[in-house]
Amino acid sequence: MNVTTSDKSARGHWRHDLRLVAHQVKYEQLAFWLNRVGAIFTVGFSVVFLVMLGASAGNQLVKSLGNIRLVQYYVPGFIAYGVMSAGFNTLAITLVVRRETGLLKRLRLSPLPSWVLIASILLSTTIVAIVQVLLMLVIGRFGYHVAFPSSWIALLLAVLVGIISFSAMGVAISAVIPNQETAGPVTSIVFFVLLFLAGLWFPLPSGSGLAKFSNYLPVRHLMIAMDRSFLIPRGTSPWAWHDLLVVALWGAGATLLSMRRFRWSPRRS
Amino acid sequence: MTLALRVDNLRKSYPNIMAVDDISFDVERGEIFALLGPNGAGKSTSIEVFEGFLPRDSGTVEVLGVDPGDRQHLPWLRERIGVVLQELAVESFFTVRQVLERNAGFYPHPRNIDEVIEMVGLTEKRDAKVKKLSGGQQRRLDIGLGIVGNPELLFLDEPTTGLDPAARRTTWDLIRLLSSQGTTVLMSSHYMDEVEALAHRVAVLSHGRIAAQGSTASLGGRDKGEATIRFTLPPNVAVADLPVTPSRVDGNVIELRTADDLTTLHRLISWAIEGNVAIEGLTVARETLEDIYLALTRDDRDGSEARAR
Repeated sequence: MNVTTSDKSARGHWRHDLRLVAHQVKYEQLAFWLNRVGAIFTVGFSVVFLVMLGASAGNQLVKSLGNIRLVQYYVPGFIAYGVMSAGFNTLAITLVVRRETGLLKRLRLSPLPSWVLIASILLSTTIVAIVQVLLMLVIGRFGYHVAFPSSWIALLLAVLVGIISFSAMGVAISAVIPNQETAGPVTSIVFFVLLFLAGLWFPLPSGSGLAKFSNYLPVRHLMIAMDRSFLIPRGTSPWAWHDLLVVALWGAGATLLSMRRFRWSPRRS
Repeated sequence: MTLALRVDNLRKSYPNIMAVDDISFDVERGEIFALLGPNGAGKSTSIEVFEGFLPRDSGTVEVLGVDPGDRQHLPWLRERIGVVLQELAVESFFTVRQVLERNAGFYPHPRNIDEVIEMVGLTEKRDAKVKKLSGGQQRRLDIGLGIVGNPELLFLDEPTTGLDPAARRTTWDLIRLLSSQGTTVLMSSHYMDEVEALAHRVAVLSHGRIAAQGSTASLGGRDKGEATIRFTLPPNVAVADLPVTPSRVDGNVIELRTADDLTTLHRLISWAIEGNVAIEGLTVARETLEDIYLALTRDDRDGSEARAR
């Protein structure tokens, strides 16, 4: 009668698990690029914005950051945007839609282990964010003479901390959004208000009221961490430990909330 | 191990409601077993306990011989069960083939993808986007996802709710095909005709309890019960002139309830032939599954939602 134990140990191969992760990442990627909404929001929006803003107002100088050109401010800013959009906005909407249509429940009831699903989603989000980061770097460098970052490792670290933390925040907000209809509007409004307050479009003078307020929120800190890897403002070090810590704390808080509130099944009418 | 599912004294409550209140039944391998009942009777909750999705409060459950409430068994079990949810859980921007290939990758011994596509009748739509499919086609794809892992036991939670009549029939054919290939099916439904057409055995749930269970043909003793004979009173004939005693007269419709319908009919028809009287509107009816079901779940119906069909 009890045939389970021997069967189980036979298939406990890490190779098998890695193959499953690769399999699932492939379809997560396919889902992201075929769905287009996420692709347009994350990659398309930042490319269009950087090209347009760079062409129109890119050469204005920003006094508060040591007279750098505005486009130099936008490149790390939109790198941060891409990381946050892939992790927060896109992931939250995707999760709500999958939950409410029963897709999450179906996955839960399939032999795919939950940790494989989570790892695959994180990996897939990272791939999307890195595609967007590379596009920003290339457009900035070859379109507007924005130098590559001074420390690639500092940039990579900020990207990874950003992806993990904002993905956790995306999962957390998906858990409190009741249905598909509100998922898009709620996350987008929250997201764009936060971006505006953090000064993505207009650099905030440090010490201003808005900057002080934004210091309690994670968005501005991730943008600062990206800036610093490009040595913005002039004369700083590329390592923004304090800012990364704030982002990570938000990520940790969001993880705790997600663990308490996450649901696999749709809300029954 | 001839039982696919064994349920003994299962209870499951939510904060304000006893969803499943002490139910027991067995499902044999190869069988199609139906849980019939109005919305809120406990069908989906029971199925979710069997799938290992919800914990139970008490009782014994064995699915393919193992306890679905024991996390240790879940990976083994999930490779051997198939699940079709009430919701149409399919990614709309994938093609039919992509969705099936993705899910096939989760299982150790999946069915051949082309075979599944053919079984669910989507060969012509294999490269179509899921969002371009009709509701019936999406449901068939959904069932395809349920069987792509080649399950021994398939859970179908209201598989034809929301489908048009033609799509329901093709879904029934598919369920019969799976059963003929040896897959055990546990389905829930609130359609009587569906249960009657498909299920070998049925349990009627009402308020979380089993109101009746048995083979579909004999549920509630309807194979042995009284028959109802109805006909229109012929013109120029008084009720007193009839060779039989009516149980009820409704205008000119005569109704007879009898356990011995053949003798009664014989007497009536002989009389009609001898007297050269035409009898119109003659019908003989036994209780339908719907009659039984409605009687069993009478106190469960408050309003329209539970009114099946």
